[in-house]
Amino acid sequence: MTPALTNTPILETERLILRAPRPEDYAFWEPFYLSRRARFIGGGSDRGTGVAWRAFCHVAGMWVLRGFGSFVVQTKTCDNPLAMAGPWHPADWPERELGWTVWSEDAEGTGIAREAAEAARRFAYEVLDWDTAVSYIHRDNTRSIRLAERLGCTHDAAAVAPGDDDLVFRHPAPEVIAP
Amino acid sequence: MTPDFRIPELTTDRLRLRLPRMDDFDAYARYRASERSRHVGGPNSRADAFSMLSSIIGQWQLRGYGRWIVADKTSDAPLGVVGIYHPDDWPEAEIGWTVFEEAEGKGIAYEAALATRRYAYDTLGWSTIISLVAPENTRSAALARRMGCRQDGVFSHDTYGDMPIWRHPAPSEVSE
Repeated sequence: MTPALTNTPILETERLILRAPRPEDYAFWEPFYLSRRARFIGGGSDRGTGVAWRAFCHVAGMWVLRGFGSFVVQTKTCDNPLAMAGPWHPADWPERELGWTVWSEDAEGTGIAREAAEAARRFAYEVLDWDTAVSYIHRDNTRSIRLAERLGCTHDAAAVAPGDDDLVFRHPAPEVIAP
Repeated sequence: MTPDFRIPELTTDRLRLRLPRMDDFDAYARYRASERSRHVGGPNSRADAFSMLSSIIGQWQLRGYGRWIVADKTSDAPLGVVGIYHPDDWPEAEIGWTVFEEAEGKGIAYEAALATRRYAYDTLGWSTIISLVAPENTRSAALARRMGCRQDGVFSHDTYGDMPIWRHPAPSEVSE
């Protein structure tokens, strides 16, 4: 018997399913994390597999420690993960965060990160009852900054960031985005 | 909807080996911030300690086996972390042990490590297991010897450097 994470929420959007991480996702995470595309989140082509492994274990384990975590994003027709999006709250994080990473280069430019981040934000506001949310983004990560802006975030220069090179983007409040 | 995750628990005379929880974090972070963690990659910030505690649970999800919080059987207070550590860049699965300062010198690591070895041999059905001990970690090397381990080469890790491999006696050699 392999211990499995159960009773986790599943979010659906027009094209996507957001679900908790599974062991099979690691085969997709590792090449992403060890590529240049992960350089703003602790990965990169100069990192070893052990670093990628521990980072994935952290993502999966947070679901148990916090009761929530980052969702793996797939399409409705294929279980292969394309991205991750969701609430992120390690110890001593200045605030509760909404994070996203697009694992598959082919998925870039398709709008799935935005679709997933909006669903994750609704979940954080409506289910976790957050009254505000931020996204911490490296100042050189222009793609992610553009997405934050499309999501209605504004740069909050007064808020504390976890790293010296991170900018804080504050999401619109729940009452602003409510349908 | 609360996520549910269950792992096998072990009990010994004095201890319960169980899933890490958020309320173990302060004790774990104190250990990780202390000089006591210098042989295992520390000292570490609280943010790094959170990632490490989280990863202990994540390994259970990926491997199906892992490390437990060693808790006092009566009070449930966390005393350390012991179990099977097997990240992707390790030569093979190892029994790892760590006890927090307040629990040192009571044979707790030994009791929990023996229970782990029994679990690996009797429940998982493994035929061999190792422990990696940093060269200058004399307390841990003494525990490896007490468990009957013999040195079996050295593992060189890109970040952690050279670590002697201590191989545990085979299942047929231990009758506990």
